[in-house]
This record gives sequence, structure tokens and C-alpha cells, in this order.
Amino acid sequence: MAIRTIEVREKVMARNDELAATVRDRLRENGVTALNLVSSPGAGKTLLLERTLAELGEELRIAVVAGDVQTHNDASRLEGLTDRLVQAVVTGGACHMDARQVSTALDAIDLDRTDLVFIENVGNLVCPASWDLGEAEKVVLFSVPEGEDKPVKYPRMFREAGCAVLNKIDLLPYVPFDLDRAIGYLREVNPEQQLFLTSALSGEGLDEWYAYLRSKIGAGISG
Amino acid sequence: MHELSIALEVCRMAEERLGRDALGSIVGLGLQVGDDAGIEADNLEFCLEALLSSPPFTGAKPVIERLPGDVLRLSYLEVENGDPDD
Repeated sequence: MAIRTIEVREKVMARNDELAATVRDRLRENGVTALNLVSSPGAGKTLLLERTLAELGEELRIAVVAGDVQTHNDASRLEGLTDRLVQAVVTGGACHMDARQVSTALDAIDLDRTDLVFIENVGNLVCPASWDLGEAEKVVLFSVPEGEDKPVKYPRMFREAGCAVLNKIDLLPYVPFDLDRAIGYLREVNPEQQLFLTSALSGEGLDEWYAYLRSKIGAGISG
Repeated sequence: MHELSIALEVCRMAEERLGRDALGSIVGLGLQVGDDAGIEADNLEFCLEALLSSPPFTGAKPVIERLPGDVLRLSYLEVENGDPDD
């Protein structure tokens, strides 16, 4: 049998990237800013969103697309805190969300009457870096109990994110964590990145985080 | 970690290119994987071998070319065209 070679030369992510571009256009047309929240599991994404919805929900119209490998737990926690829609995406084992899931979730959200969409990604600092979801930017969280070196261990994520949040700073007196060292590691991979020091539990540092969110509304859509 | 997603997408791309009926005629499949693509090449090869040995595929061999940068590309498909060699 003769063997024929067919040149393809196509990016494997091409389809996701096309869908992400469509999502980005939709958001832009409706004046909606979308932020893709990424971290390792347990860094405090959901608690940060709970606080943000509770304290900023009156001022900004915030919707959430909450992704989880299994369960609707995160979406359930957030539902009671907003009259905007919380859309749960269960990835069924996949370690990341993709643009199709976000596109489908947005169908159910009234974008015309929304300022800000949080996409709470699956807890994972590796895979979500490869999937463009159509967001204006990624926000990467890491937390004090995880240790100082997350930025150098997962440089791609910290390089790509528009800003970083170091959460659980209320634990600084209790665990061996060198803040200067953590900041040094972050600067190694991303010298300019804006960093917020927060405790979603005590509320410390959240005013700066809220100011950043306000700055991203409307004029802040960089996509 | 997401090598299986990538392998499934590669299979989808092959189907889009050739149509489902022709998938069984694929004997080889070439991929370019960058060092910074966030992909473990051995794991991707393992996932592809598993998928390509299940119907409608008939055991096509994946060939992975490592490159610098973050490229992740399906570069070619090799198909048996059913014609005799001579």
C-alpha cells in the first residue's frame, strides 16, 4: 500500500483560541470585564469571591462562572451572595476549563446588565495557563501556607497573569513564611506584576483588591 | 497534566481533516511540541498511543518532534491510500 503524507501544520489550541476570541468579542461588545481566577487548590479563590460579592456586589454587577472538577460546592457557596447568576461548570475530571465551557456559561448570563464576570478556574497552577478563556486577564492567587516559591515553580502562570494575589496573610505570624523571599521569587519571573497582599478571612488588604477591580471596569477591558 | 485533552483534540483535528471513515487509514501522525508548551511529551505520546489503538483508529504511530518555545502543532498525517505501491 502506498503511504501519503498530508501536511496539516495547525496549532492544537487553534479551536479553543478561536472560541476564546469569540468570547472576548462578546464581552467587549457588552462592556463586560472577565477575570480568570487561577490558583492551586485551597488557596482561597472561593472565599475571596465570597467577600468580594458581599462587599462589592451592591456597587458592581458581578456574575460568576465557577469551575470545579466535581461537585457544585463552590457555586453553592457563592449563590446566596449575589442576585446575579452563578454558573457552575463541572469539568468531569479535566484539570482546566476551556473556552467552550465559558461560552456556554455566558449564554445564561445577562451580559447587558453585568459589569464583571469572575471565572473561577479549577484549582491548578499548570494546565489553566494553556487555555485562553476569552478573559481580559488572569488573576493568579497563591497563599501563605503553600510556601514562598510558587512563582518560580509555576513561572508560566505567574508570567501570564495580569496581577497576583498573596492570600492568607493573617497566617504570617504562625507559619514559617518569608514575605521578602516570596516577593523576590515573584519578581524573578515577573518584575512588573501588581501584587495584592490579602486575607480573604480577616479582610486585610481587600480595599486595594477592590480598587483594582473598579479600575478594570469599562476602561479596563484590555483583552 | 492535560495531555489527554490535547491527545483528544489531536484526534478531533484528524477527523475534521479526513472525515471519520478515513481515520482507520492513518498510519502515522506528526506533532511538534515546544519545551515551554506545558506538555510532558512522553505522557502525550502515551495518551495518543492509547487513543490511536482504539477504533476507529487502527494503531497509527505518533511521532513527536521537540522544539524550543511554546509551539504545539499537528504537523502532518500519514495515510495509507489503498492503492498498490506499483
